[in-house]
Amino acid sequence: MTTPLTPFDHRPDPVLGAALREALQPREGEGAAFRSRVLAAAKRAPVPVVDVLARWSRVGIAAAIVAALAAGVVVGRGALRAEPAVAESDPNAMIAGVQAPDANILLTGYTER
Amino acid sequence: MEAGLAVRAREGDRVAFGDLVERYADQARRVARAVLQDPDDADDAAQDAFLAALVKLHQYDVRRPFGPWLMRIVANAATDRRRRRTVRRADLLEEGLVAGGARPDVVAEQAALNGRLREALAQLPPRRSLAVTLFDVEGYSHAEIAEMLGIPEGTVRSEVFHARRRLRTLLADWRQDG
Repeated sequence: MTTPLTPFDHRPDPVLGAALREALQPREGEGAAFRSRVLAAAKRAPVPVVDVLARWSRVGIAAAIVAALAAGVVVGRGALRAEPAVAESDPNAMIAGVQAPDANILLTGYTER
Repeated sequence: MEAGLAVRAREGDRVAFGDLVERYADQARRVARAVLQDPDDADDAAQDAFLAALVKLHQYDVRRPFGPWLMRIVANAATDRRRRRTVRRADLLEEGLVAGGARPDVVAEQAALNGRLREALAQLPPRRSLAVTLFDVEGYSHAEIAEMLGIPEGTVRSEVFHARRRLRTLLADWRQDG
């Protein structure tokens, strides 16, 4: 029994649906051949450009992180080996080193003339 | 599940793509056959659709069901192919092929009915064939079909109604003849 014929019918018609399915169904045994054909064509198909770019970007980001970490390690080690710059600019050392200029040295050239 | 397969296929996993083909091959071929009477043409269209889907997988929204997205591509591929074949197939559009014809051999009755149904579908406008096939055969909702075909839901209902009227007449005639 088919469902009433009305444009407002929201239910599928099982009788017509079954008849159409039977009519449209590919013959048995063709399914595997079709799937093989599609998969073989897919192997030949180019990989989508977007996917390639996406993969490259992931690799690029990972490489940049590794490079940044490596650079950080190198710079950090270099900084540890170097003498602390603070020692050269220690205010106490500067003050301690300040002595009154020797008057003889300052006046030597002048007195020799 | 299907979304996961689609994501893996999108990343180049051809096994995942093979799983999707496995799941949807029969449905895609049936939908293509609703528009293209020639089975070879229909299979070519279904194959084109799978390959187009593979290339466009980055456009697929994984939060939504995969079937309607794929069937939209199948419908477009089949419709495009039918448009290109229209001139070649003009001889098949005669009414006599659907309404009349000799009584087939009893043994081949089902096969003959199938052939007539396919011919009847081929006579319908592609959108109408697709609407009734997607609704009555594949079980998609009016809303899903509307989205697949890019038409209002009310238009889908109308297309299904007109297709059913034509096909039910054919089925009824066939039973009376039998």
